[in-house]
Amino acid sequence: MARYGMLIDTKKCIGCYACRVACQRLNDLLPDENFIRFEEREEGVYPSVAVEHVPLQCMHCEDAPCAAVCPTGAAHIGADGIVAVDQGRCIGCLYCMAACPYQVRVRNSETGAVDKCRFCVVTAHESGTQTCNCVDACLTDARIFGDLDDPGSEISRAIAETHAVPIVADLTKTKVFYVR
Amino acid sequence: MSEKTLTRRTFLEAGAGLAAGAAVLGAAGVAGTAGAALDPQVAHAWGGPVVTTAHSLCNACSSKCGFTAYVRNGEIDTVLGDEGHPYAKGKLCARGYGYLQIATSEDRLTEPLKKNDKGVFEPISWDQAYAEIAEKVQAIIAADGPEALAMVQDPRPSGKYYTKRFMNALGSANVYTHGAACNLSKEAGFTQVIGTGNYSSDVASSKMTMFIGRSYADAIRPSSVSALQKAHERGARIVLVDPRCNNSIAFADEWVPINPGTDLALLLGMSHVLVTRGLYDAAYVAENAVGFEEWAASLATCTPAWAEGITGIPAATIERLAVEFADAAPAASIEPSWRGAFGCAYENSGETARAVCLFNTLLGCWNQKGGALFTPSVSVGKLDEAKFPSVPKPAAKILGSEEYPLSLSNMGSNVYAAQMAHSGVIKGMFFYNSNMAAGYSNTAFLAEALSRLDLMVVVDVQMSETAQLADYVLPECSYLERLELPEFIGGKVPCVTLRDKVIERVHPETRSCDEIFSELARACGVGEYFDFTVEELADAQLKTVGLSLETLREAGGTASFPDAAFEYGKTPKWKTPAGKIQFTSEACAAAGLSPYPVWVEPAVMPDEAAGTLRLVGGKQAHMSHTQTANIADLMQITKDYDLDRVWLSADVAQRWGIADGDEVLVSNECHEGRVRVKVTQRVNPTTLFMPSHYGCSSPEQRTAYGVGLCQMDFVPFRIEPGYGGICSQEALVTVKKVGA
Repeated sequence: MARYGMLIDTKKCIGCYACRVACQRLNDLLPDENFIRFEEREEGVYPSVAVEHVPLQCMHCEDAPCAAVCPTGAAHIGADGIVAVDQGRCIGCLYCMAACPYQVRVRNSETGAVDKCRFCVVTAHESGTQTCNCVDACLTDARIFGDLDDPGSEISRAIAETHAVPIVADLTKTKVFYVR
Repeated sequence: MSEKTLTRRTFLEAGAGLAAGAAVLGAAGVAGTAGAALDPQVAHAWGGPVVTTAHSLCNACSSKCGFTAYVRNGEIDTVLGDEGHPYAKGKLCARGYGYLQIATSEDRLTEPLKKNDKGVFEPISWDQAYAEIAEKVQAIIAADGPEALAMVQDPRPSGKYYTKRFMNALGSANVYTHGAACNLSKEAGFTQVIGTGNYSSDVASSKMTMFIGRSYADAIRPSSVSALQKAHERGARIVLVDPRCNNSIAFADEWVPINPGTDLALLLGMSHVLVTRGLYDAAYVAENAVGFEEWAASLATCTPAWAEGITGIPAATIERLAVEFADAAPAASIEPSWRGAFGCAYENSGETARAVCLFNTLLGCWNQKGGALFTPSVSVGKLDEAKFPSVPKPAAKILGSEEYPLSLSNMGSNVYAAQMAHSGVIKGMFFYNSNMAAGYSNTAFLAEALSRLDLMVVVDVQMSETAQLADYVLPECSYLERLELPEFIGGKVPCVTLRDKVIERVHPETRSCDEIFSELARACGVGEYFDFTVEELADAQLKTVGLSLETLREAGGTASFPDAAFEYGKTPKWKTPAGKIQFTSEACAAAGLSPYPVWVEPAVMPDEAAGTLRLVGGKQAHMSHTQTANIADLMQITKDYDLDRVWLSADVAQRWGIADGDEVLVSNECHEGRVRVKVTQRVNPTTLFMPSHYGCSSPEQRTAYGVGLCQMDFVPFRIEPGYGGICSQEALVTVKKVGA
């Protein structure tokens, strides 16, 4: 079993939305069904100003509030630690959306069910590749995907080198790490 | 909802063997570079129905990046940027993915339309439309000559060939590109100095590169973003001169927040420092240039302190930048830009472009590693005259070439053409892939000018503002549904690429550009110049460079010409009248400008006391002009993040009592409209930045309609003296909080 995670280097992010649209098109999502949410931070005073783009998506928490509040078990932690939503069991109560501290779950406006980043789980499992569409699409290689339990994996080495950390310390034991 | 299983790695692994096989084509000096071609059986192995692949070119912006489309059951399943395409380098931007939706958009034009007496469009058959258009064309030619006809087109591989051939066959030289609203002033200014309209900065290998109004991260070509990132990671000094702190700042060292319209003064100030301190490459200038002494003398008064007063950039910063450039030379340059700050923006844009080339000349950076390069390109050779007969050269020159003598004949001044429509000199106009009415100049003036035409024909895929004004609207199939002529790309290793058909036509009554103009030509009685198919022409063109349609397809849609590759250090042949770099230009003097670039003030200047700001436009990474605004995936990003807001300096906003997110009234003598404000530290206080993609006024573009304001509503109709550009940023506005 792997324990999949992602690293996002915001120092390389230019806020271009290529990851978002690649994810939507390649996962066949609706236009308003966005698995990647962006926050833009502006710091400093004119003209000494710095800009940071922070892409946020399902953090695949080991301590997942969405799974804890889901009344039907639709939201659950699946194989390889990937947080998943069983679309057939989702009743659209939106508890999980309220519970998610990162606000990265979206309601499918056609089915009423909730969905979110899947770490391109079918890709990983069915075709044997260990990557995500957003990682492939990123123009600046700001994203790395891989097995956190494999100390030799690119992501494990990068986290060690860059001291990447979760977006909010130890809140929910997330598996997405940030360089900021 | 299905989860797609295709990823680049799967395909590259699957197709690796095939790619190796396709890498050598056997034609002299030509190698295929585009990488993997997928064997349908390999695709079958991962479970889905048979997938077919096609290599094609994106149409979401002018870069035309190469991609591979994987098509399942007639629908596009996945697209991946082609590794071998020099602009894509394996990646696509947000627009590249999103613009695929144009093919199946519910707002597509699906049949030819004719405007009736009540101003309402009605369907008409192709044959009837062609017959009526031809009759009107012939009537205009009979009464006023072919000079009364004009074409405006935004160049695409087939479009630029067929539209020009069609007009020339009718006897008219009046073929205008979008250029006057894009890069005409820049290319025309460059031409006066270096004899060619463009160069490329060797950003990735540079020690210092300055960008003026150009942002690789906001108007994306993946290879350019990559080059910028490499430069930054190598420790190159990257400087952004821009009234807006654009998103390239992620890979830049410094933002120079210049007062918009004053880049020329900055250039003169930096040149003053190099010349007066002897920091320029005197040997290079002496060997390669003429007229230096006259310009150098004129720089005496252009001190950094003088430039500070105009640009708002501290004199010490101007001095430091110049010295840093001298230290980094010759591995340094000012990047040529595209539309940016001097492609078409001000009355001084052409002269700014000249000064950019002169500054680079002072650095001695032409064709030096890390400097500014003239990269080679390959072009089509001579074709069989019997099959593809040459069209006689029209008797008259393109209209506007006398009035705007510095404009380039291969672009022309499209706004002058509009002015001639307004004054009744031009009677009939065709538009291909061009939304002139919404994007090229003052919208009210253009609507009035075009409404005076006897004949207006628009070829497009959706009901643009320009199409709304037309007498006839001819629906084209989308870029995904057609083969086009080969596209040759200059570069360190020049190459040729192909836009190929990816999917079958979604709407049977749409036709491709080559079909439309060939059929129109036949109806107009000049069909003898169009007696071939696009396949035949593409194949014939490719055979002149040792390829064929088949071999280019086998090569993955991109084939390079390594024998023609660029080499550093070679002095170019300067194609100027003097045969050298020209610090002085007789043509500029004859056009009423200074023989050498001197400070020219923009036509209008913001006034703090009057509370006016300069209206500055610009791109966002997920949009291209107005053509992408109706794409659901892309417009949703705008809606999610309120990206149609105008940017106002935090300092000014505080003084005027405007808070972030407030609705304001933007107004001037041309227009007024309400929009919300982004209050930011990222913009010069004399500036109101308005993203230039919004304000769609065509109700048939249901996604884009009514979102945001249209920049060109506020821009007065004006043409840059000498050069013919549209002066897209010669507009002042006031901003007032709604309800205050």
